[in-house]
Amino acid sequence: MNNSYDVLVVGAGIAGMEASLLLAKGGKSVCLVEKLPLIGGNIIKNEENYPHLECSTCMVAPIQQEILQRQDIDVMTLCTVEKVSGDEGDFSITLNKKPRYVSLEACIGCGACYEPCPVSLKNEWEENLSEKKAIYVPCAGALPNVPVIDAEHCLNLSGKKSCKACQEACMFGAIDFSEKAEKVQIHAGAVIIATGFDILDTKRFANLGYGKFKGVYTSMEFERLYASNGPTSGELILRDGEKTPKSVAIVHCVGRRERGYCSGVCCMSSFKHAIFIKHKLPDADVYEFHSDICVPGKRSQEFFRRAKDEGVNFIFQPDPESLDVRENGAGLEITYKREDGREERISVDMVILESAVVPDESTPEIAKIFGIEQDERGFFKTSDQIMDSVETSRPGIFVAGCAEGPKDAQMAVIQAESAVGKVMNCLMVNEKT
Amino acid sequence: MSMKIGVFICECGPNIAEHIDIDSVIKKIVATEEFKDIELVIKRHKLLCSNEGQEFLEKEIISNELTHLVIAACSPRDHESTFINVCKKTPLNPYLFKMVNIREQCAWIIPDKEEATNKAARYIRAAIRRVLYQSELLEREIESRPDVLIIGGGIAGLEAALSLASKERKVYLVEKKESLGGKASLYNLLLPRQSGGVDEIQKKIQDVENSENIQVFTETEVESVVGFFGNFEIVLKSLKADESRTELKAGGIVVATGFDLVNPQALSGYKYTKDDDVYTSLEIEKMIYSDGKVYLKSGEQPRSVTLVNCVGRDEKGYCSRICCGAMIKIAKAIRDLSPDIKINVLYRDLCLPHKEDQRFFDEVKESGVDFIRVKGIKLKERRIEYTGMDGSKSEITSDMVILAPAMVPAEGTEELAEILGIPLDETGFFQEAHYHLNPVSTTTEGIYIVGAANGPQGISESILQAQAACGKILTRLIPGEKIVPEVKVSEILESFCTGCRTCLEVCCYGAIYFDEEKGVSVVNDVICRGCGNCAASCPSGAIQAKHFTSRQLYTEMIEAIR
Amino acid sequence: MNTNGKEGFEPKIVGYLCNWCTYAAADLAGSSKLEISPSFTVIRVMCSSRVDYNLVLTTFFSGADGILIAGCHPGDCHYDKGNYYARRRYGLLKSVLGALEMDSERLQLSWISASEGKRYADVVNEFSNKIKEMGPNPINRNAYY
Repeated sequence: MNNSYDVLVVGAGIAGMEASLLLAKGGKSVCLVEKLPLIGGNIIKNEENYPHLECSTCMVAPIQQEILQRQDIDVMTLCTVEKVSGDEGDFSITLNKKPRYVSLEACIGCGACYEPCPVSLKNEWEENLSEKKAIYVPCAGALPNVPVIDAEHCLNLSGKKSCKACQEACMFGAIDFSEKAEKVQIHAGAVIIATGFDILDTKRFANLGYGKFKGVYTSMEFERLYASNGPTSGELILRDGEKTPKSVAIVHCVGRRERGYCSGVCCMSSFKHAIFIKHKLPDADVYEFHSDICVPGKRSQEFFRRAKDEGVNFIFQPDPESLDVRENGAGLEITYKREDGREERISVDMVILESAVVPDESTPEIAKIFGIEQDERGFFKTSDQIMDSVETSRPGIFVAGCAEGPKDAQMAVIQAESAVGKVMNCLMVNEKT
Repeated sequence: MSMKIGVFICECGPNIAEHIDIDSVIKKIVATEEFKDIELVIKRHKLLCSNEGQEFLEKEIISNELTHLVIAACSPRDHESTFINVCKKTPLNPYLFKMVNIREQCAWIIPDKEEATNKAARYIRAAIRRVLYQSELLEREIESRPDVLIIGGGIAGLEAALSLASKERKVYLVEKKESLGGKASLYNLLLPRQSGGVDEIQKKIQDVENSENIQVFTETEVESVVGFFGNFEIVLKSLKADESRTELKAGGIVVATGFDLVNPQALSGYKYTKDDDVYTSLEIEKMIYSDGKVYLKSGEQPRSVTLVNCVGRDEKGYCSRICCGAMIKIAKAIRDLSPDIKINVLYRDLCLPHKEDQRFFDEVKESGVDFIRVKGIKLKERRIEYTGMDGSKSEITSDMVILAPAMVPAEGTEELAEILGIPLDETGFFQEAHYHLNPVSTTTEGIYIVGAANGPQGISESILQAQAACGKILTRLIPGEKIVPEVKVSEILESFCTGCRTCLEVCCYGAIYFDEEKGVSVVNDVICRGCGNCAASCPSGAIQAKHFTSRQLYTEMIEAIR
Repeated sequence: MNTNGKEGFEPKIVGYLCNWCTYAAADLAGSSKLEISPSFTVIRVMCSSRVDYNLVLTTFFSGADGILIAGCHPGDCHYDKGNYYARRRYGLLKSVLGALEMDSERLQLSWISASEGKRYADVVNEFSNKIKEMGPNPINRNAYY
């Protein structure tokens, strides 16, 4: 592990990974920092990506593996940035590495430590749809394939009880309860911030019933439900563990009014979800409550047509967010106004809420630490929306992906490649001075 | 040369050792009849991927003077590269090494220990037989030129030129028109989130023209391109009377040829002539830029204007992304010019995917512009019949109608695609190599597609794409550095080739060319990606995929199922 | 000896798996400790398009009772369109096998993506059972090489 890198990349989602790989192939040394115990960001939560319904794992796994295997990229998971000083060409950065309690070198990913662990808790990465042990990997196929111990819930680490079950099960002596958080000092010539996004919490829309009614799901929850490495191995089974939905309503534009922008990706995401449902449950009725259909680009409208061809019912609503979702016996009922003014009611088993893309929760802190501005929406502000949308207010610090604003994976990669171009020029200039 | 094969079986802790009787495997292999004449060094190790394990391997390879290596352990996807790096520290060529997966695909999936042991022995025997047929493959370096050809002098081309040009990298910027700037230099209306406008573009044009490292060719087009990544040979043709030719060499090519707008008169449902006051959005933007106002053919100011979105959207099958924003800004511009003009905007869906655009729309709506959502429209001269969302039919006749036509690839796109040997997709725009992972590259390495040539998009996106192509070029075509192409490529045996050219047809990367003189096909190993498709397609068996030759695969297979 | 007897018959099945998708799924099935028939032998290729006619026929002649060719789903091929060519070759092979008076069901083409570990196990086990039911391959020459 060096302490001097050409570039620091913050966030190992699709944008951060692409940027790191491109830079490394261009001969630059990269420190890739990721706050979660695994790399891949949000895109690995998808089973398939629009518009071609390409297998997300097939697409991303080779990149993840190459990144982990390359000597010129130092990946630091469970790591956040604490302090930044200096200028472009030479930033001095303090990283905070949280303890994994499992050695990345010694662990070979056999998984023998999970079973003996006596603690079970909700798996946040799986949108709380399944459980994990206190020593866990977030999902099957997670990379690096090395578990982490949740210190808060581990009996031993939280001081509740002396328990060494996992350590005893490990044949490689990979578990070390005494591991401590570490501060790591590094230098970097340039920084790319690619901290990604979150989706708007939908509990605030009481009329939509999320958190109240079991049949209401967020789009992320649905992605995990459909995923073959997810909590139900891809079976569309409702929270009761038995029922498969016979009819599903997908609600667009949740949060659009409050956030004040169209996220530009939820329509495509909703078509994808509708197609997922039709593939798994061909007889299910699928309704999409939408306002504007936002399908920019040469491929997107075709995907919309595909959803239509699958027999999805598209119901125009000037304000889908204001739909009335209620319980009706064992299922749900949605009341809405048709275009001719008449009120209509449909019964569904499941409601999926496509909510707005918002900045990742770490954004305000990162903005402060790096001394860069956020825009009014909370995303990182870039210097000029027409000419440069990867340069922040601080020279040498660039942003790529959804950290800058809602966008799809393709645009995130384009921004990542653009940031790499800027960084290459920035490093070249600073090398000479 | 006497062969000495090292066979190392990893215990992987309990993962393999507990499910497979490794000693028994070793006994079976040593007892194999066919291996009596081969010198085998066969050992087991606790954990080969560990630092200690790797050092052990290195020592074993060197001290035993091993000529071939087989490692039975976890999946090659986990640690093949680890062991290849170990080989690179020794005289052993890393391609004389075969890794056997006896963990994920043996120990972990076969519960019966005896069966798992037999299977492991089979796989390892197969690998030993196979590795003997493997060949040394050597990485090589080829010279490459860092210079770049940019086709198209619009905003994307200008941006790419300025970002790429340096003392060590010449940029050749080719533009078929008389001046640089493209469509973006024709108007100055901007969305509030955009800044710069025509002045900014003019500045970029000046920077380009003043740059020592950028050579500009206006009124010029590309006549031919041959070669490959790092080594393209280009011929330019002047469109002036002399038709002079210029020969250039470049390592990379950026296609930034932009767009045109579909002609609404060619669409059904839009009936008007050039005498009617029906304009495209681009015509109005030019009008506002050059004359500072909107006016009818008669010269008078219109009292009412209707803007129509999504013109050609269904026929083309895609949404052009920029038109909603453009129409809103035109509506605002007209409103600013005169508060009295009645302005209607007929739209189907509002496409405002940028985080700042919704606010702009709200403001313009507040300023008294009527946005009417429709299901479909028909235009006859200046009369528009439209179907409302409730199914009812209505009519509007305005003094002026402004249409937002779909973006289409620029004229000459098909011809250029032929010249460059890159494909177009079903929409007619250039096809990107991979929608997500390689959105500005093409399947021809070294040729990039940016801006509206890549697909309908606006100025911000075009600039981003141009910069993305720069990111690719700056990291791959580095001045002074050589290119190291893929080693596990296909090879055509001249004597077997009948010249049928089947392989040329099946190669997705254009990595095979036909040698007219010799009458045989030849693989360009710089471009070849090693998929083996050509090897499988050759009727004469003239093509071998290195490291996956027929002999190697047969041997592996036969031994594995014996 | 060509008994065609199914008692105690353990089939030999060869799987030509593409490196990027199906082989990854096989690894995932392994990490998930799913049980997979030991009669199934994996041979890794870079792309399903590498699998040529001779390879398949030689594999049958050499004693394989069943062959599974597996690669990425259409549209997902790591090498752009390789799997489409695999599909074409497979179609032709099916008719050739018929001409050899062999049940063409002994050859199967499946699309398995990298995340489909469980599906890989299901496909392989189902195919293995089917071949076991069908009995030994009638065109086993066993002396091709």
